[in-house]
Amino acid sequence: MSAPAPVDEAREEGHRAERSAPSIWRVGLQRYAILIVFAALIVGFGVATPSTFMSLGNLSNILGSQAVLFILVMAVILPTVVGDFVDLSLGSSLGLSAMTLAVLNVQHGWPVLLACLAGIGAAVVVGLVNVFFVVYFDNDPFIVTLGTMTIVQGVIYIVSGNNSVGIVSTNLSNWIFSNDFLSVPLEFYYGLAIFLVVWYVLSFTPTGQKALVIGQSREVARLSGVRVTRMRAWAYILGAAIAAIAGIAYAGTNGTVDPTAGSALILPAYAAVFLGATAIKPGRINPLGALIAVYFLATGTAGLELLGAQSYIQQIFYGAALVVAITIPKVTRDRIFKRKRAA
Amino acid sequence: MPVTDSGTPGDSDKGVGLQEPSAPGERKADPPAVEVRGISKDFGSNRALDAVDLRVGHGEVLGLLGQNGSGKSTLVKVLAGVYDPEPGGRLFVGGEEVPLPLAPGQASEIGLSFVYQNLALAPGLSVLENLTLGQRIGRGVRSWSPINWIAEHRSGAAVLDRYDVKLNLDRRTGELAPVDQARLAIVRAAEDLRRYRTRSGYKHSVLVLDEPTVFLPAEEVDRLFDLIRTVVGEGAAVLFVSHDLAAVRAITDRVVVLRDGRVVGEEVTAEIHEHELVDLIVGAPARRDESTPAEAAPVEDQRAVALTIAAMESAGDAVAKGEDVTVEHLVAERVRDVSFEIGAGEILGVAGLIGSGAEELPYLLFGARPADSGTLRLGAETWDVEALSPQRSVRGRIALVPADRGAQGLSQSLTLWENIVMLVEDEHYRGGIFHRGELVDLAREAVDRFLIRPPRAHNTMSTFSGGNQQKALLAKWLLARPRLLLLHEPTQGVDVGARRDIYRFVKSAAALHHMAVLWVTTEFGELAEVCDRVIVITQGRQSATLAGEELTEETISAAALRQTRPAGLGQQEREDR
Repeated sequence: MSAPAPVDEAREEGHRAERSAPSIWRVGLQRYAILIVFAALIVGFGVATPSTFMSLGNLSNILGSQAVLFILVMAVILPTVVGDFVDLSLGSSLGLSAMTLAVLNVQHGWPVLLACLAGIGAAVVVGLVNVFFVVYFDNDPFIVTLGTMTIVQGVIYIVSGNNSVGIVSTNLSNWIFSNDFLSVPLEFYYGLAIFLVVWYVLSFTPTGQKALVIGQSREVARLSGVRVTRMRAWAYILGAAIAAIAGIAYAGTNGTVDPTAGSALILPAYAAVFLGATAIKPGRINPLGALIAVYFLATGTAGLELLGAQSYIQQIFYGAALVVAITIPKVTRDRIFKRKRAA
Repeated sequence: MPVTDSGTPGDSDKGVGLQEPSAPGERKADPPAVEVRGISKDFGSNRALDAVDLRVGHGEVLGLLGQNGSGKSTLVKVLAGVYDPEPGGRLFVGGEEVPLPLAPGQASEIGLSFVYQNLALAPGLSVLENLTLGQRIGRGVRSWSPINWIAEHRSGAAVLDRYDVKLNLDRRTGELAPVDQARLAIVRAAEDLRRYRTRSGYKHSVLVLDEPTVFLPAEEVDRLFDLIRTVVGEGAAVLFVSHDLAAVRAITDRVVVLRDGRVVGEEVTAEIHEHELVDLIVGAPARRDESTPAEAAPVEDQRAVALTIAAMESAGDAVAKGEDVTVEHLVAERVRDVSFEIGAGEILGVAGLIGSGAEELPYLLFGARPADSGTLRLGAETWDVEALSPQRSVRGRIALVPADRGAQGLSQSLTLWENIVMLVEDEHYRGGIFHRGELVDLAREAVDRFLIRPPRAHNTMSTFSGGNQQKALLAKWLLARPRLLLLHEPTQGVDVGARRDIYRFVKSAAALHHMAVLWVTTEFGELAEVCDRVIVITQGRQSATLAGEELTEETISAAALRQTRPAGLGQQEREDR
């Protein structure tokens, strides 16, 4: 690999003109496109259904109902930011944590706090298994986590006996869902706290900057002395732990835990992360963009439902928003701007 | 590459006259297998090929020799239809003229077949699948006709037998030894030529081998040569492109030497001495064309380095006085027991052809690639080279500027400032607050002092030209205040202006900052210009040390080209007589 390119091309390359950087105006438009559409959505729904959409109840509903997804999104961000683009098993880690907590608390009478810790522990084990096979053996994360996802799902069926398990201690439900602050359930604030920590670490510490370099160019990071292996390992482990917290929030919100919990959430979580990567810092996985994306999607679906759409419209809206959001920058860059330059 | 102004495509006819293949009736028994006349190729204002004439006869192995940048690969790419030559050049195949430029892929239809250094084998496929890959290419109904694997297996075995190559057809190609991969690629190309001959009825065909021996151990090259002789026996001519003198002397009948895009010699291999060949390749000692005035007052680069020095002083750094570096008994896959010293403030050049092992040294000493053994002494500290890792090296303040800046040096999707300050971020994180503003200011200062254009710290790295990227890469590592700076091809793909800047930055870093510098490149003129001393690596061993008066491009090239290997013994005896 060290062989230098044949000299002829190398020389040619040297004559390449500097490419022009995109204009500030265009970068700004791309950066805040989602926020602009978000604002337009709010105005549009507000005008269409002023009495329901613009109510405090609806705001509280939108903020509260997305808390589990939002926490899972923060879990998903960690492996994604260091360049391991899929950890499919995070959804089952959520399910495993919720089910462990429910089984221990309901069927074995464990105190709820201890059961919560056991749930987190179970998920961390899944994270360690991923680290072992993905990072240590350098396997493809998609394939490995597809495997661990399936295994964990199987384990969930075994421990639950393929039944929903409930009802978990009302203490938990109170502290997660029933109690509120400013009429928004507490779980929203837990999500917010996790977001603030993740955001701080990824955006305001050298560690976050190093994670970014790993994600953008792993070889550059390695040759700059970054501990690539260690950071990837931590990303998987902490991701699993945060997914477990999402599982606890799930158990607290629903009271009973369904064996399929989590598997339905993982794809929307990825949709939000990738949609978020088109905003604020385009092209980079970033927590703030993901935060906006989650609530943009939630607002869109809530509004559509108020207009009379069925609840499954959510999936269509998620998918369409993701595909459109990643395509628009390319359309503007490759078509319109090239044509202009050619003229 | 020096620009040669003489010779326009128009007067390319001057070279005609050696033989007139198209003349009817006369000597029609034996037109050359392939002949080019007056081929020129310009890249911008650079003339890479200048009215080149070349003839490969039937059953002949013709060596095409020349240094990096002499135009060898350009000529091969013209023949392959990758580059369009300038108008005026002519190509004859088997005595018939073929209009230039060739379309991509057309070469195989006129009996030319190519094996490049990278061999173009799919490592994940079996030997048989790679052997028959060429026959799978095609459109329409042919893509859907069923493959009879049993019959394929049988004919594949027959093909290998014909060339006396013993390989397991079911092995994964990637598991083969390098020499066997090369042989497989040659068999495949030779078989394409044989099919061409039987299909078309022509008897000409030419196998072009572009640097086939570069990464092969000396002991195994003979097996490759046996195969080449078999291929010639089957009826193909061979154009053997190389800068490896020993290989060329061992296998070729005639040699053509290119220098600066022109044919400077055409000789019968057995009748020319090695030193004569070396003189032809590197040019007469008097030649010294790239003597651009060595700008004497490097004001800006002193400023650039002053930035590092200021940083070092603020860190209370004792190292500012400089430290000596000693490397002892370095052994790795392609490096056999290399030892050298670099004094504080010295720039030590390492010269070696591709595949010589010289290009491994910076990566081994940084811990980026595994070494087998060796010690590295830096000031008072001693490390085992095999235990080095990039993390330890960065902490020990060893800097590596890799040749592949796009993939290994700089993160293309991050901004300029993020790349420049990558190694010093930790120093700007205090009390839980990341002082991003300080880092941007530092980067801006570096952009200013290292003359990076355009001076926009927030632009994405990929929008900068090669020269500016290279300056940014140098700035990134110099900001980390290295004690030992390892450079690999630091001016590859860099324009002349930026190249001068880089020379001066490194020279002042060594002079003002007493940094030890290891400069590895195949641009020998560059080594003559910037280095205090140059060691030459051939076949993984240190074969010469040059300093002072001896430091010219010609002496370095000559030393790097001179190598002994068992295959060359016959010729050497002849030469000694």
